[in-house]
Amino acid sequence: MALDIDRFANVASPVQRWDPRFKIAALMFLIVCIALLKTLPVAAVAFGIAALILLSTALPLHFVSHGLTFVVVFLLPFFVVMPLTYPGEPAFTIIGLPFAWEGLRIASLIFIKALSVVLISFAVFGSSRFDVSMLALQRLKCPPLIVQMLLFTYRYTFVFLDEMRRMYTSMRARGFVAHADRKTLHVFGNFVGTLLVHSFERTERVYKAMLSKGYQGQLHSMVTFRAIPGDYVKAAIALVIALALVITDASGVFAVAERGWF
Amino acid sequence: MHISEGILQGPVLAAGFAGAALIAAATMRKLDMEEIPKISVITSVFFVASLIKVPIGPTSVHLILNGLVAVVLGWRAFPAIMLGIILQAIIFGHGGVTVIGVNSVMLGGGALVAYMVWQQRHRFDFARREFIFGAMAGATATISSGLVLALALLTTGEAFGGVAIAVLAAHVPIMLIEGAVVGAAAEFLNRVKPEMLAGRNAPSA
Repeated sequence: MALDIDRFANVASPVQRWDPRFKIAALMFLIVCIALLKTLPVAAVAFGIAALILLSTALPLHFVSHGLTFVVVFLLPFFVVMPLTYPGEPAFTIIGLPFAWEGLRIASLIFIKALSVVLISFAVFGSSRFDVSMLALQRLKCPPLIVQMLLFTYRYTFVFLDEMRRMYTSMRARGFVAHADRKTLHVFGNFVGTLLVHSFERTERVYKAMLSKGYQGQLHSMVTFRAIPGDYVKAAIALVIALALVITDASGVFAVAERGWF
Repeated sequence: MHISEGILQGPVLAAGFAGAALIAAATMRKLDMEEIPKISVITSVFFVASLIKVPIGPTSVHLILNGLVAVVLGWRAFPAIMLGIILQAIIFGHGGVTVIGVNSVMLGGGALVAYMVWQQRHRFDFARREFIFGAMAGATATISSGLVLALALLTTGEAFGGVAIAVLAAHVPIMLIEGAVVGAAAEFLNRVKPEMLAGRNAPSA
């Protein structure tokens, strides 16, 4: 399980060099526009654009594939449930169940949009150091308290991931095997409880250490942002693409979901 | 358990963000400076613990544990869960960035309902009280979140009725699992470090 999203933030590419404030604002707008698309052909174009953005970040594909696996696994059931439960006239029946093409079309639309959005969000957050992304969010008027807590949580996630792995190893060394029974659930309950007690004791130490370093409720950073003309150009391109997608989608050139394939 | 990107419509996504912002503002009032690292660190524990897989039959499910967040953090469970969801969306692409609001309302809202249940424990006094109330909190959190999820799916159109029913049905085994795990954890915490549990302990206190 790889949690360090910013592992490849130092690879050189046009996206990595993009000022994070502009990158986040522009690509988030694009993401929202894609999430609201209603026609299949436009969604397919959006997917192509998302893939191009990701390719231009020069992030290794194995890095992205883990996240994609999850999305695919999560959305696959839609391909089964939607066609079989779509109300109205079924096209034909499979082993007694009604099958509607329309349901399959909606499932495909959702699948393509979700995949595109995930590709772009990997491009956004995989191409800057995590703390820089968070600081950029703060500059974009995200509440400083939330930003600060996100940074803490992110940082301690790695600590507890290690701790959990150690505890799990020692549990298995003592002969624990997870089964589908009440005993296993009880053990997991105690496991999480132990992890919580450790974390609670650690926060007390962390807080004292922070106080002794002069913490007064704010975080300070040495990171500064400076936009160059290229940042504006890239943002403008992203905005134009986003608007073009939305306008084509709404123009009626293609049929919206629930009315046909093209 | 998440709703994924690309399913819900604009107004529902916007309502999710508005709802999440309102509830977060309400549940984060009078936040002490000391609570900032505490909530964050506990959030990271839940983030990590939700990676634990419980086997059921040929497959396995991930723990959600939003009920346990409520048992430990009380009303502050909402901001904690919202943080977890933001991080998951950013790091894994789980859920997704446009559904952060809806997912926060769903899982965080479930935690708030669970805390209402958990809070009642001080009225009772019997052996294994923490296990029973913890289990109820875990189960309530799961089923409330499941209901919000089903409702959100239904707003998209009647085509999603089948999916909504399938989702609710899938929550029944998860509810039992969550109940058992949260109950055991609450009982454990009560034995080892009772001051970590949120809410009043005894009627007189």
